[in-house]
Amino acid sequence: MIERINFWEIPEIWHYFAYVVLPLCGLVMLGRFYGRIRLWWQVGRPERRWDKPLVRLWRLIKFGIVQVKVLSKTYPGLVHVAIAWGFFVFFFGTALATIDADFIKFLRGPIYLIFKLMLDTLTIAALAGIILAAYRRFIQKPSRLTLDRGFTLSLTLVFVIVFTGLLTESLRLAAIAQEPTLQPGWSAALAWWTPAGWVTAQLWLALKLTPAVINSIHLWIWVTHATLVGVLFIALPTTTLVHMFTALMNVFFSKLDRPVGQLAPIAENEKKEPVYVSTLRDLTWKQLLDGDTCTECGRCQEACPAYAAGTSLNPKQLILSIRDALHRDGPTLAKGNGKSLPLVGETIKDGVLWSCTTCGACVRECPVLIEHVDAIVDMRRHLVIEGRVDDILQGALANLGRYGNSFGQSERMRARWTQPIQPKIKDARREPVEYLWFVGDYASYSATLSDVTQKTADVFQKASLDFGILYDGERNAGNDVRRVGEEGLFEMLAEKNMAALDKCTYKTIVTTDPHSYNTLKNEYPANNGHAVLHYSELLDQMITSGKLKFTKKLSYKVTYHDPCYLGRYNGVYDAPRRVIEATGCTLIEMPRCRDKAFCCGAGGGRIWMEEAEVKERPSETRIHEAIKLDGVQAFVVACPKDVTMYRDAVKTTGNEERIVVKDLIELVHEALG
Amino acid sequence: MNIVVPVKLVPDLVEELTIDASGAALDTMWLRLIINEFDDHATEQAILLKERSGGQVTIITPNAEGVDDMLFAASARGADRLIKLVGDFENGVNNHALARTLATTIKDLQPDLVLTGVQAHNDLDGSLGPLLAEYLGMPYTGYVSGVIVNGDKAIVRKEFPGGLIAELELKLPAVLGIQAAEQPPRYVAISKVRQAMKTATLEEMDAPGLNPDGGPTIGRMFQPEAAEKAEMISGNADVVADRLIGIFKELGVL
Repeated sequence: MIERINFWEIPEIWHYFAYVVLPLCGLVMLGRFYGRIRLWWQVGRPERRWDKPLVRLWRLIKFGIVQVKVLSKTYPGLVHVAIAWGFFVFFFGTALATIDADFIKFLRGPIYLIFKLMLDTLTIAALAGIILAAYRRFIQKPSRLTLDRGFTLSLTLVFVIVFTGLLTESLRLAAIAQEPTLQPGWSAALAWWTPAGWVTAQLWLALKLTPAVINSIHLWIWVTHATLVGVLFIALPTTTLVHMFTALMNVFFSKLDRPVGQLAPIAENEKKEPVYVSTLRDLTWKQLLDGDTCTECGRCQEACPAYAAGTSLNPKQLILSIRDALHRDGPTLAKGNGKSLPLVGETIKDGVLWSCTTCGACVRECPVLIEHVDAIVDMRRHLVIEGRVDDILQGALANLGRYGNSFGQSERMRARWTQPIQPKIKDARREPVEYLWFVGDYASYSATLSDVTQKTADVFQKASLDFGILYDGERNAGNDVRRVGEEGLFEMLAEKNMAALDKCTYKTIVTTDPHSYNTLKNEYPANNGHAVLHYSELLDQMITSGKLKFTKKLSYKVTYHDPCYLGRYNGVYDAPRRVIEATGCTLIEMPRCRDKAFCCGAGGGRIWMEEAEVKERPSETRIHEAIKLDGVQAFVVACPKDVTMYRDAVKTTGNEERIVVKDLIELVHEALG
Repeated sequence: MNIVVPVKLVPDLVEELTIDASGAALDTMWLRLIINEFDDHATEQAILLKERSGGQVTIITPNAEGVDDMLFAASARGADRLIKLVGDFENGVNNHALARTLATTIKDLQPDLVLTGVQAHNDLDGSLGPLLAEYLGMPYTGYVSGVIVNGDKAIVRKEFPGGLIAELELKLPAVLGIQAAEQPPRYVAISKVRQAMKTATLEEMDAPGLNPDGGPTIGRMFQPEAAEKAEMISGNADVVADRLIGIFKELGVL
């Protein structure tokens, strides 16, 4: 029976290389890796990321081994998985071979053949992957990739290692084919279990080399192969290949303690003082790990609306700034005698942080689960506490603090839009209601939106919904206040809203604004079991239950824009689409839809800030995307801020004749007849 | 350097103003008060001076609804001492009375510099600064938008119409009416204000008898009244002239 021969025709002196030198190289690798990662906890703050090991293990398998996020982009995904799986299998194969050689002999007969087939298949896959990766890196050159020597070096090293492995195998097969007694049980038929090796072996055979020459080439290629593996071990912690370790760690330690729509409160140090992130020392070890994990693939950059608009924010560069600062200042800081240099304001400029719309596209795209937005908000908190905010934002925050709305109007004006509505909308503070409608600032105060808000009330009344509002008891829910980094103001607004809500008797909260929806649902403490619905979800429920019956079938061709805080943050994609279809409209999707939706540019408090120098506003880019669709008449949104943003964008891009922005409720209202 | 900033709260124009039953004052029922914008600048200027050359900033204000929050916000911004004057302020006082009572308290504080807002929208009897300077016996300059202190002298920037800027030297102690701080009042994060609420102390001081002498007495306060309807005269010049002569005759002018 055929079986694996250990160190086939390799002189014994070289066995020591494999058993002594390579393990030493491995130790050097671990030592150098430790030298790099110790900075995480020697410089960074502690943070608990050890809980729920099984869930973490599952994430490791899903995102680290199967690499589902890497695969979400087909070409680079498949290329990466081919190479990565090559690595996994070679690692696994070497472990099996060691067991077979030194512990239990089991690689014989069919098991050996399957073992060889597996290794050989992955050799082909990995080599193909490397060639396609080189094509992408040197010919296609996508702008999001970092085209740097470090990556070229890693790719070359990996290629040479895999290729010399294949050559070694093919030379052995060529020698055995010449002299079958060299491997008992071998036959030409069995050679096809190692297809890549066998095909390559034909080249050697065609050259008609003598067995002695083949043996000698075999030895020196084997030595090259083994030496390069040693080089790889030693170099790995300072090459781009280090992501093999850091990425696995990063997905294992990814955020589990809260939903994606929930920010953590400001951390406290041992003295119970708040920690505002301004230096490396203020970041947590996990945030430093984020920096060391970044593979510079640039998917975040490609998805980022702030980057596309030409602002100073590039999410990839932001994360790399953390990494570079750590490797520049970390070693001195770790000794405890270095001064903590400012990260915010120096390495990362204020304008970079203020450009973020917190749309979450970067976080959604990142194949290794880096948490960009949390870090940005942490650093913004420092800017706010230092008073480093622009004039418009300062005015908005002052208004929010004083009047509970960014418009700087009296709270007594909050429900002015209800004046023409008959019968009068219930005051939820005075009588019990089934649905408490949290209207939100824009829907309440913006003069251009009162028509849409009144139509919402009209739809609710026509559906005989038992609902009420908080009138002047409502405050801004604080979602964007929190994302601006004004945590104290967020707490104050939330306390006031909670106090108002506590006095009411209701079953469910329904919101107009996805931003209010997110914070009420995910960030308000103890909602007392009250469900929070976005109006699109409520409409969907009412249509399904027959409470809302349309008398008119609309025949518009429309497209739908997913608000970030409804879609990406809370996964509400289907409800608004079902409502659109129920009105009779034909829905045509934009290329970037659902979790890939492109932000309007207003989120994260951007709507209250001075407009940065931009090439094109994100909202305008989005309108251009929509008008490319064939025959689309209406751009449907489900967020009051979107109505404002996109109506402006339609005007500034001169598309008033081609497309009209409609709130979802306007379609519903029209279909009710 | 010892800087004192007298601050007053004024009606917030976000709310609609209504006249009370007496017809001579604002109805305080619906009134919401806010820091006088110029006093906000005076506070900022005081903090800037303190940050630049050290010293102590004292905020002093007559008691009113919401005054505690204003004082805590000033503390969060960097003010060291917060004084609330307690007295008969409920029905409002004019600037003469306010200046007299402030002067009494401020004298004891022995300030090097008194910074006030140059004006307030409810000043009915002149702005506070000059009155205060008179009662304190100190020199006064108003419409100031920048201050440099040099020993016992201050050099102040003052804007004149037509874009002219003057630099004036004053001997300290002095009273300045601040039009604008050197930089806009900074944002104070709510968590800092909340922290100040826990740690800062408000000193209450009795306001000596309020004497409004010298100020005007308000006879009537009213919303702007629409004038009676105008008559538009149309037609050619002769017709218009005839009609005008007719009107003048009707009114007894001709």
